[in-house]
Amino acid sequence: MNKTMRILLASCGTLALATAASADTVRIGITQNNVGIDSYQTTYERAFIAAAEANPDVEVIVLDAGGDVARQISQMQDLIQQQVDAIIIWPTDGQALVPAVRNAHNAGIPVVVTNSNIAEAGMDFIAAFSGPNNIQQGIYSAEMMCDALGGEGQIVQITGMPGYTTAIERQQGFDERLAEMCPDVTQLDIQPGDWNRERAQRTMETFLTRFDNIDGVYSGDDNMGVGALNAAIDAGRAEGMVFIGATNFAVGYDAMARGEYWGSVYQSPVDDAEAALQTALDVLAGEDVPKLNYFDTPKITQDNMEEFDRPVF
Amino acid sequence: MLLNRLKAGGPAIAKQGILVAFILFMIVFSLMSDRFLTPDNVMSVFRQSAIIGVMALGVTIVVIGGNLDLSVGSMLSFATVLVVDLHDKVGPELAIPIMVLATLCLGAINGFLIGILRLNSLIVTLGMLSAIQGLVLIYSGGQNVDIVDQRGTWFAIFGRGSILGIAAPIIIFGLLAIIFHVIMTTTPFGRKVYAVGGNPTASVFSGIPRSRIVFTTYLISALCVAVAAIILGSRVMGSQNNVGQGYELQVLAAVILGGTSLLGGAGSILKTVLGVLMLAFIQNGLILMGQPYYTQWLVTWAVIIVAVWLDVAAKRGRLFSPIA
Repeated sequence: MNKTMRILLASCGTLALATAASADTVRIGITQNNVGIDSYQTTYERAFIAAAEANPDVEVIVLDAGGDVARQISQMQDLIQQQVDAIIIWPTDGQALVPAVRNAHNAGIPVVVTNSNIAEAGMDFIAAFSGPNNIQQGIYSAEMMCDALGGEGQIVQITGMPGYTTAIERQQGFDERLAEMCPDVTQLDIQPGDWNRERAQRTMETFLTRFDNIDGVYSGDDNMGVGALNAAIDAGRAEGMVFIGATNFAVGYDAMARGEYWGSVYQSPVDDAEAALQTALDVLAGEDVPKLNYFDTPKITQDNMEEFDRPVF
Repeated sequence: MLLNRLKAGGPAIAKQGILVAFILFMIVFSLMSDRFLTPDNVMSVFRQSAIIGVMALGVTIVVIGGNLDLSVGSMLSFATVLVVDLHDKVGPELAIPIMVLATLCLGAINGFLIGILRLNSLIVTLGMLSAIQGLVLIYSGGQNVDIVDQRGTWFAIFGRGSILGIAAPIIIFGLLAIIFHVIMTTTPFGRKVYAVGGNPTASVFSGIPRSRIVFTTYLISALCVAVAAIILGSRVMGSQNNVGQGYELQVLAAVILGGTSLLGGAGSILKTVLGVLMLAFIQNGLILMGQPYYTQWLVTWAVIIVAVWLDVAAKRGRLFSPIA
């Protein structure tokens, strides 16, 4: 009874939506990770909707999983039911969403993964990935660290949340490039800061107790980097210490302007959102889209920062 | 050996399982890292533990009263975002009282639902955990908030200031711990909280206003969160929307580690302080030794189990259950 009703309702809804959409507009559904939890994702959503509205041929259905894997799986099912032309997904969990992505693929709906990629097992079922290249970002940070230290010194690293793809990839890129480019820079220790500024500040305080000589700090994002900077300032040891981050936040940008923070990687949520929509449109237009589409995330340092707008987050 | 001393009654300290565990653990760590027991490091750990610690004081009182408070994590996010955001809009002298009042309102909602309506505290505060997180996101629109003039504001004293070389967060934590300890051990209110948690029905028949007592414990918990938010906001000079995410479990771990019974009616503010310090020293000590983070998770868990075991053993005078 209940099930029949639900099917009826779903098909009515689909019918209504299908008639509403005219022949040449494409309907794209997006299910996001957790809008509102941080400024990046909030700005991303706004930019995505703005980009879609600017294009008269696109109609979007915007959903948010609220960080909940189960909810995102049912949102995927809803979008498949509604027979959208393409689905964009920002996975809450790269592994757990693979079956849902496979269902969409089997239903003939192309899936574009945005921002953080799906697990290796799901790569066959997606049309394309669009997002930042976090390994490249780690490489950029390592190069800036090398430049700033003149090729030698002792550094510590504060990583993001353990287990997160972004955290793992940035660390991987950084570690490999650093060892290759300047073997005389030694990493004293690597500990997580959980993307949390207060936690990063605590980790840095312990580093400062443990090591008498720290020349540089690499943090997995600027939010944590500023926490580390605060700890060093409080301990009176920030002078001459090189702070490198990633995902340039407004606080990092400001600290850079004050000369306290050396450099970061500029990653715009607006670019991220626009790239995702464009990738989906390219797929639908039948273009030959590569599997991995990275948007540009350049180095930002005290020297070139005036070329960039202050981040909105 | 320890067992025999326990059986023989032993010195009073042997009955203090958590204290024994704490001292043992400090000795082991100081042998493994020469930086561990330096005054700088000890001060640094005390300061780091203040935020969790202040929250744990309030939660201890709630738990002694026979209830749980899982909403403190997102309540901390709420209070910190509010005080930091208002700091630049209306100035710290208004931001602090407004934030404290708003946070007390949240505590009053908890207190009303659990104290007056007698709803299950686990369900209510678990619900409040996500409801308040939603409130934070609505309020902030998902944007991080920051204090612009970080060096020039007197708001900095709570998290970064110090008196006679002792950091302000330590002083706040210490003072609150003493005040709440005195309240819980010497005042009628304190005894009533123990009575309500120990046997709710009996307490009502003894003429104790159970509803009002439970209501008050949630107000105290909210007040502690507000104080923790002032320290956190002042220390970080900004706030993420989810800054307190997961803190509720760290707080609860510290309270349990301090030997407070989840069934209510038993527990001690001072032992909670020990629990808080122990968890902070574990995290600090393992980083000092250069252990990776997963070791910290494992060791933290293992230490909680051993400490709880020692505590239970001390209470019943033997290491193993008499029934087994």
